[in-house]
Amino acid sequence: MAPIIEMRKMTKAYRGIPAVKDIDFTLETGEIHALLGENGAGKSTLTKIMAGVVEATSGTMIYRGREVQFASPHAALENGIAMVFQETSLVPSMTVAQNIYLGEEKFLNRLRGIYISAQQFLQSLNFTVDPAATVASLGAAKRQMVEIARAVRHKAEIIIFDEPTAALTPEEKRHFFALMKRLKRSGVSIIFITHALEEALAQADRITILRDGELVASGLSAEFNREKVVRAMVGRALSNEIYNVQRAPENIRKRGAKILSVQDISMGNTVRNNSFSIFEGQITGIFGLIGSGRTETFKIVSGIHKRDFLRGGDIELDGRKVRYNVPAEAVRDRIIYVTEDRKLEGFFETMSIAENFYSGLLSAGLEKSAVISFREMRALSAEWSKRLNVKAINDNARAVELSGGNQQKVVIGKGLIQKPRLVIFDEPTRGVDVGAIAEIHQLVNRLADDGLAVVVISSYLPEIMNLSDRILVCRQGRVVEEISPLEATEEKIMYAAVH
Amino acid sequence: MTLFDPLLDVFRGKAVTIPPLDGALKPNTILEDAEVIATVEAPDNLAELDGHLIFTTGKEVRTVADGKVIWTGPSEITALAVGRDNTLAIALESGGIRFIGRTAAVIQGFNCPVALTFASDGALYVCNGSDAVAASAWKSDLMSKSARGSVWRVDPRSGERQCLAANLAFPYGIAVDEANARVLVSESWRHRILAISFAGGEPQPLLMKLPGYPARIVSAPDGYIMSLFAPRNRLIEFVLLEDDYRSDMMREIESQFWIAPSLSPSRSFLEPLQNGGVRTMGIHKPWSPTRSYGLVVGLDKALQPTMSFHSRANGLRHGITSVLFHQGAVVAAAKGGNAILRIAPSEGEV
Repeated sequence: MAPIIEMRKMTKAYRGIPAVKDIDFTLETGEIHALLGENGAGKSTLTKIMAGVVEATSGTMIYRGREVQFASPHAALENGIAMVFQETSLVPSMTVAQNIYLGEEKFLNRLRGIYISAQQFLQSLNFTVDPAATVASLGAAKRQMVEIARAVRHKAEIIIFDEPTAALTPEEKRHFFALMKRLKRSGVSIIFITHALEEALAQADRITILRDGELVASGLSAEFNREKVVRAMVGRALSNEIYNVQRAPENIRKRGAKILSVQDISMGNTVRNNSFSIFEGQITGIFGLIGSGRTETFKIVSGIHKRDFLRGGDIELDGRKVRYNVPAEAVRDRIIYVTEDRKLEGFFETMSIAENFYSGLLSAGLEKSAVISFREMRALSAEWSKRLNVKAINDNARAVELSGGNQQKVVIGKGLIQKPRLVIFDEPTRGVDVGAIAEIHQLVNRLADDGLAVVVISSYLPEIMNLSDRILVCRQGRVVEEISPLEATEEKIMYAAVH
Repeated sequence: MTLFDPLLDVFRGKAVTIPPLDGALKPNTILEDAEVIATVEAPDNLAELDGHLIFTTGKEVRTVADGKVIWTGPSEITALAVGRDNTLAIALESGGIRFIGRTAAVIQGFNCPVALTFASDGALYVCNGSDAVAASAWKSDLMSKSARGSVWRVDPRSGERQCLAANLAFPYGIAVDEANARVLVSESWRHRILAISFAGGEPQPLLMKLPGYPARIVSAPDGYIMSLFAPRNRLIEFVLLEDDYRSDMMREIESQFWIAPSLSPSRSFLEPLQNGGVRTMGIHKPWSPTRSYGLVVGLDKALQPTMSFHSRANGLRHGITSVLFHQGAVVAAAKGGNAILRIAPSEGEV
């Protein structure tokens, strides 16, 4: 099989620092090719060169037998290369159908015709998305579907998916993988960037692994296993360190004082009479399937959502009833919530790392001077970048330019600067590479060792089992079971979550 | 809480919330799996006489070891205590307290004596659950939301008595804290433990917002052990808010079918689904809401929960009304489960 695209000695440098260096990469026609690597390994940069988003510093790209260089994503799309970004590029105020046909509008458009055509097209892809709904009203998974539909509609010969499954439910993932296989059968070549190693091993024909901007391994997926991939990605065997730790009774932290007591809080049909307590010096793991009300419960606790006005339940912090109207009130009480959707809620993407850190300080009212002090900002940024090992060119790098793991560290740092007593991590390692996962886990453990009350909400069972000192399982808007990590098995937790 | 919240609460209805069973109260099945040392109908108050366990059931006081009847009363026995000189103080449904031993006095005037304990000076402390109803009518007392209970100090020799606290909502357990010259009283309908000075005075709440209705409390080597005879339940809390409904229910329905706490899971065909009777795929869910439950809680000296033993919604050892620390183990009387159980305290550490 002839390669549809071939990259030779591809290099891209930002301010003289190479993001990818001398990479030789080939993509065969009709194959699914997984691109793996830690955050900052250069996966996105490599694919962005392919899709015309960034221009290579040196190297050649041969597409369908001729050397090309795309000046823009539009040029790449015209040539049949589409990229589905991690952060979708849809217009939120427009409908799904309008987004699908964006850029192809005629002089006079019949809206009904667009909707009917979009409906048929979405149905052919097995996507249950209302074409008349505005994109702003859709969840992350459905936005992803629209983005994919748009790429498929342009009859792309190469589709690049950047972390396509991060926001999808298991059911939606199954649909997505089936779609990927269908596209493959019709001759489309797919590049699939992911952090979910199991997905790469199960779905891809070939795997290429990058590390620090260089290609470290490439081959048929059958030649790889989880261990081998992880070792290649991080240069050390990390998976045991992260997920296969045997919990001994002496490693389970004893609970400290009860800091938070939530009693019968309700919010519509999402959170229903939910009750639980959180203790200092412990990591409380919260597991539940999508729709179990985990995130919403803790958003109520941290003042982001409001509980029911009538009989909405009680939240007590140190025995004192609290009802936060805005998150700033919770921050003042030293409760922080580290969001699961860092791109939307976690940081200011056009601001620098230093400004993002400083914004955390400002929102807690902990700044030393009455006016913005750039010296304080720089010192703060230097301290927290070092403490959290944020990898960036310098402190002036914008948050949007960072890799997923480093963005997550900025979001966490922004919260920790506020000197919290209760830290709520919602999916702290979603879309984060293995190396950063280990660092974030270490940080979470350190916080609990320092006596803070820590809550970790996660959909990933091994993460819950390895981090938690106690595990609360949510189902249909409430905590239904508390399980000790010593007695926890994946089956037992899942049983409580679904039964 | 904003300044306006107390005002808004008037309109939005003050939430009646139930604290969760977690932390030291994390559910387990220790009571359900515990060793049964006696199977007997409705065992109630446990005590230690001469190193031997005794208990009350119906009108009788019996030994746990061989079931031998020690004493039979003219009416149901509602509480039992043993003094240092092995004097038995026995409270009766008919209202009196009888002393068996060196003194053989009878003290009348208590309407609902439900807990007794002797202090080291020989004084007897009495919890009178209510001055309106007898002990067996405890559901009526709860449903009428009365607070007519009291705690008394009685001199067994002279019969002289002194009221230490009144207007309590069913005081159902009492333990002496000699070191601090006070008694600890479990106030059942207000779900809390109070400290009352030997000299009387305003009761001080020490442990509040319990997730169930506390019953007897006793001293243990590292603190106290307390039994909770039934769980709090949102449906019951709701009924307690609805005065008209409640009065209709009390007037028209037999008390065993009231929406009220219960000592045992219902087995009546008239009530096929008690709240906790929900089954999913043939399995009775242990986390179902329930009107009866088995719960024993270990407390430290500061009255903070340190461990607990449970029989959950799908269990049978419910309605624990009395506990005792005996020969290094916790002994519990499951009045609703018709069993006396023994548990090693280490099992409950979480």
